[in-house]
Amino acid sequence: MTHTPAEAQAETEVTRRGFLASAGVVSSYVAAGVAGFAGGAVTASAVSASSLCTQSQLRAQEQAATIPFFGDYQAGIMTPLQAYGTYMAFNLKSSTGIDQARSMMQLLTDDAARLAVGKPTLPDGDPYLATEPARLTSTFGFGPGFFSKLGLAGKMPVGFGELPAFSIDKLQPEYSGGDLVIHVGADNPLTVAHAARQLTRTANTFATPLWSQTGFNRPQYGEPTDQTGRNLFGQVDGTVNPRSAQEFDAQVWASSGPRWFHDGTCLVIRRIQMDFAGWDKLDDTKKEASMGRRLSNGAPLTGTSEFDKPDLEAKNAHGLSVIPAFAHVRRANTGKDTEKFLRRPLNYEDGLLPSGEPNAGLIFAAYMADIQKQFVPVQQRLADLDLLNTWITPIGSAVFALPPGARRGGYIGEGLLG
Amino acid sequence: MKNSTSATQRGFSLVVVAIAALALVGCAPAAPEPVTPTATDVWIKAVPELMDGMAMTGVFMTLENPTEADIELVGAKNTTEGLTETAMEIHEVVKGDDGEMKMQMVEGGIVIPAKESVTLKPGGYHVMYWDLLKPIPVGSHVTLTLEFSNGTTLDVDAVARDISTYAG
Ligand code: HEM
Ligand SMILES: [Cu+2]
Repeated sequence: MTHTPAEAQAETEVTRRGFLASAGVVSSYVAAGVAGFAGGAVTASAVSASSLCTQSQLRAQEQAATIPFFGDYQAGIMTPLQAYGTYMAFNLKSSTGIDQARSMMQLLTDDAARLAVGKPTLPDGDPYLATEPARLTSTFGFGPGFFSKLGLAGKMPVGFGELPAFSIDKLQPEYSGGDLVIHVGADNPLTVAHAARQLTRTANTFATPLWSQTGFNRPQYGEPTDQTGRNLFGQVDGTVNPRSAQEFDAQVWASSGPRWFHDGTCLVIRRIQMDFAGWDKLDDTKKEASMGRRLSNGAPLTGTSEFDKPDLEAKNAHGLSVIPAFAHVRRANTGKDTEKFLRRPLNYEDGLLPSGEPNAGLIFAAYMADIQKQFVPVQQRLADLDLLNTWITPIGSAVFALPPGARRGGYIGEGLLG
Repeated sequence: MKNSTSATQRGFSLVVVAIAALALVGCAPAAPEPVTPTATDVWIKAVPELMDGMAMTGVFMTLENPTEADIELVGAKNTTEGLTETAMEIHEVVKGDDGEMKMQMVEGGIVIPAKESVTLKPGGYHVMYWDLLKPIPVGSHVTLTLEFSNGTTLDVDAVARDISTYAG
């Protein structure tokens, strides 16, 4: 402080005051997040804050916003989508037994709890990169190999395990599998990169890195709309999703099976390559028919606004279904409450394919209490028939069981490893 | 952390001051009890394998001095069984005459200024362990006792961490 020039100091002072004045706004924003607007209806409160302070103060608040790490559930699942995210998978080293796995989860918990409040990890060599948490969350999960390698096969959650092979799959080993997953999300890409590297250091002592997938979404705030974000095909993606605590209880949080897994959930990650050469040849009518929803606002072809319920029975003048038999939403909607889940994807764009086309698509991430019951039937229907398959190819696949949250003083996975 | 100095200890020292004040009003002036600084975020650089002649490491932490007078960290004693037989030292890293960075004992100890804190970190102040007799794996814990210039001591528990983000 003593070395700060006078003007600069005056500026920080103002910013800090703006900060305090609107602290209430920040916390209600975070509270909205915790209540679970997974699709992102949080924009309104963030925008109304701008009347209280300047744009730059608002941006500073966004960078300082935090999501609580400790709680009943792990953060980063109910949390409204952050703008940036990375999923990293590791395989346990042969020298890692249950004692080392416990040590690893204790250290990862300590790292994540510090980073979540904008503090560096204990051995952080770049502590200044920790100072803008920007709604940072770190979420941890265990792959099937974690259970088998540690002799915990008997404690696997019900309905958890590898997916069956699907006819559409062209899976590549560099994006598939893993014993441990770490998912980091934040509204600042530097924050994500820093947290990912800090957590990787800790994991690397006990496990070997297998793959890392980074992606992005539209930022949640700064846009005066509650329309859901879009994917790289330009579609509004994420409309049908659990939002209330009751819907999360029904679809996402486990309440049966082994005790340690209660309030945990399963994660399915599918890396899905998009064929832009093919997609670009379609006119809007064909694009909309393949989905059963409009490109402009995501409304079903049978409705006018995004959240209208699709009418799967509706016929046009020729007696044909308005939402075609092959449309993605018709195939994905099984009409059964037991086959619903949370979709929390990231878009990816990783340079070029050898062909010169963009190496881009969707890191499809879905969360559900029981993979076998809730996810597999939906993925099977889409593999059997979905016009979208013409332009999308699953090239990576992995499944993980995510323990419940930790209490202060405890650690993620304590129920399983403790 | 088995750190005996915490919020309660600080509350305790306030009580001590109050009693001292009462004593003054009475008559016999009692010497005020010396206050122990607090230590947080205590960690030690892990030593996964003992290498010949390189069996040494440093302990890092943040020390806070709640009192009105400077206190120095003057020494430390290992309390972890079988870890070392060699005395521990309080070190700093400085640029030598040859331009190379080297570590040396801190003359008079590490000052924790009154009402302030000081952070021991890699490349700076540290508490030095010499001649380790066994490895310190990542995630394991080491205990030691810190010794301060005002005669107080503090037992701390250091968790072992890796420094490089690339070490396998
Ligand atoms: C690149 C691949 C994919 C794209 C571009 C995509 C796109 C979309 C879009 C635009 C919607 C409509 C809006 C919404 O409700 O979010 C949708 C709905 C949905 N998708 Fe996908 N999706 C993809 C892959 C998948 C996969 C792999 C699954 C599951 C196995 C899936 C399951 C669903 C479900 C359950 C819905 C909601 C259906 C409803 O009840 O209306 N999608 N998807
Ligand atoms: Cu030294």
